[in-house]
Amino acid sequence: MTLRLNAPRRWRLRRHGSGGKGAGRRSAGLAMLLGAATLSLGTLAGTAATASASSMSSGMGWVRCAHLSPNTAPVDIYMYSFGDPMAMDVLRHVPYGEVGMYMKMPTGQYSVAIRPAGAPASTTPVISANFMVRAGQAYTVAAMGPAGGLRLQALNDRLTTPHGTSMVRVIQASLKEHHVTVRTGSETLASNLAFASVTPYGADKPGRWMVHAAGDSATWSGKVKLTAGSIHTLVVLDSSSGLKVADLLDAAGSGMMPHGGVATGLGGTAPGRAPSPLPLLAGLAGGLLVAASAAIRLRRSRAVARHAR
Amino acid sequence: MRAAPPAPAASAEPGRHARHSPPWRQVARRPLTAAVLLGGVLTMAIAVAGLLVLTGRPGHPPGTASATPDGLMPLGTPAPLPKLATRTAPLPVALQIPAIGVRTRLTRLGLTRQGTLQVPSSPSVAGWYTGSPRPGEIGSSIIAGHIDSYRSPGVFYRLRELRPGNQIYVRQADGRYAVFRVTAVHQYPKAHFPAAAVYGPVPDAELHLITCGGTYDYATHNYLSNIVVDSTEVR
Repeated sequence: MTLRLNAPRRWRLRRHGSGGKGAGRRSAGLAMLLGAATLSLGTLAGTAATASASSMSSGMGWVRCAHLSPNTAPVDIYMYSFGDPMAMDVLRHVPYGEVGMYMKMPTGQYSVAIRPAGAPASTTPVISANFMVRAGQAYTVAAMGPAGGLRLQALNDRLTTPHGTSMVRVIQASLKEHHVTVRTGSETLASNLAFASVTPYGADKPGRWMVHAAGDSATWSGKVKLTAGSIHTLVVLDSSSGLKVADLLDAAGSGMMPHGGVATGLGGTAPGRAPSPLPLLAGLAGGLLVAASAAIRLRRSRAVARHAR
Repeated sequence: MRAAPPAPAASAEPGRHARHSPPWRQVARRPLTAAVLLGGVLTMAIAVAGLLVLTGRPGHPPGTASATPDGLMPLGTPAPLPKLATRTAPLPVALQIPAIGVRTRLTRLGLTRQGTLQVPSSPSVAGWYTGSPRPGEIGSSIIAGHIDSYRSPGVFYRLRELRPGNQIYVRQADGRYAVFRVTAVHQYPKAHFPAAAVYGPVPDAELHLITCGGTYDYATHNYLSNIVVDSTEVR
């Protein structure tokens, strides 16, 4: 029983050098992409509640790509940046069921295009779409639906959990079973979820749970470990024997969030309050005064002694 | 026959003596005044010594009092292997930051009864918060260390000197290293510590290093700010 998808692939936007045949090809491809009908993407309404605060200030977001169309052959996934036309990258030969790793990307608008695996970059993509990356937010850009009705969907991935809980959602990407119900323990995560649809995230108790997925004819059971502060996506997939469920870890943080700051200093090197030099300066002045007056007295007594002779 | 003239010399002697009598004779004549003079000079000497100690107080500038200078860092020790962010990583056992000469084993930290992050019992050792993901796993991992002890610099004394691009090595129980690259260095007032940003979920493998900084409040014996270093795993 496997709970993991194929090994996550590295995919990072690279800046290509300017000039040369390749650059021309790319800009041609981009122009074509821009001309292509922009497909409706999944809801991108960025809710502040799902943003990671740590990346808000740095102007970065996260994107991962997924091939979740059961009867679509492996594809090449291209990504172009609107803000930086020379930046482009390709994830090659992505088979059904594969989900890439998150990549950190500058905020802005991007275009994603899908071509059959191995097709030249100059060819018209099977499908393309634009989507926006907002600061501190994470997205799963997935090819969904049947081969005949392939669509690109940009899912907004959650990056917060209520205190002490885990968040879970379900993507139904099994074509063999058109409707699937998914349960963990006594919780129902998805009830009769239709092919190519996605549930919202729901809070779940941390722990090790049995996951049961049931369609009309096939079922699947396996274990999933939910830790507090972690966010998961369960993907229902076709397998050779019927169904299987892949457990994706969307994000993780501290299960128990410490309160406030951290007391990691005892002050031994603190510059703030050096002991005041005033008493010492007063001592210096006082000593000077006493010594001077004593010296004068001594000189005077010498003078008196001289006169006395 | 002229007598040898010892007499005038002898008679001149006392007069010269009277005009140029050595100080010790004056001292003998006026012991009290002399004692007061000595006392005054001693007071001045003590005051000057105190002022010298004050101005020579250790601690600043930061770079000079480093416990482990960069040059002493044995190079080539960290042997990072390219790794992907994973669901499970081995336990972290040691931390190395060549740019600021940090080289420490890692203790385990939990939460205090008040719910704040525990700190290492030794100021010269850093610790990993066991409630956070292990370094190299997906998520936001937390390592804390002291800026100083009551007397001297602590393990994270130079943390504020880190700059984006500096590398951080975490040795894991299997002897391999998780490698991180600094992306930002923040100073947050403890009164407004952004817990969600530091401890909250993230979708990639990140590491936050935490120590104290800013103004030291002598009334409460506390630094008023925290220094937080953000870093992302290098793949």
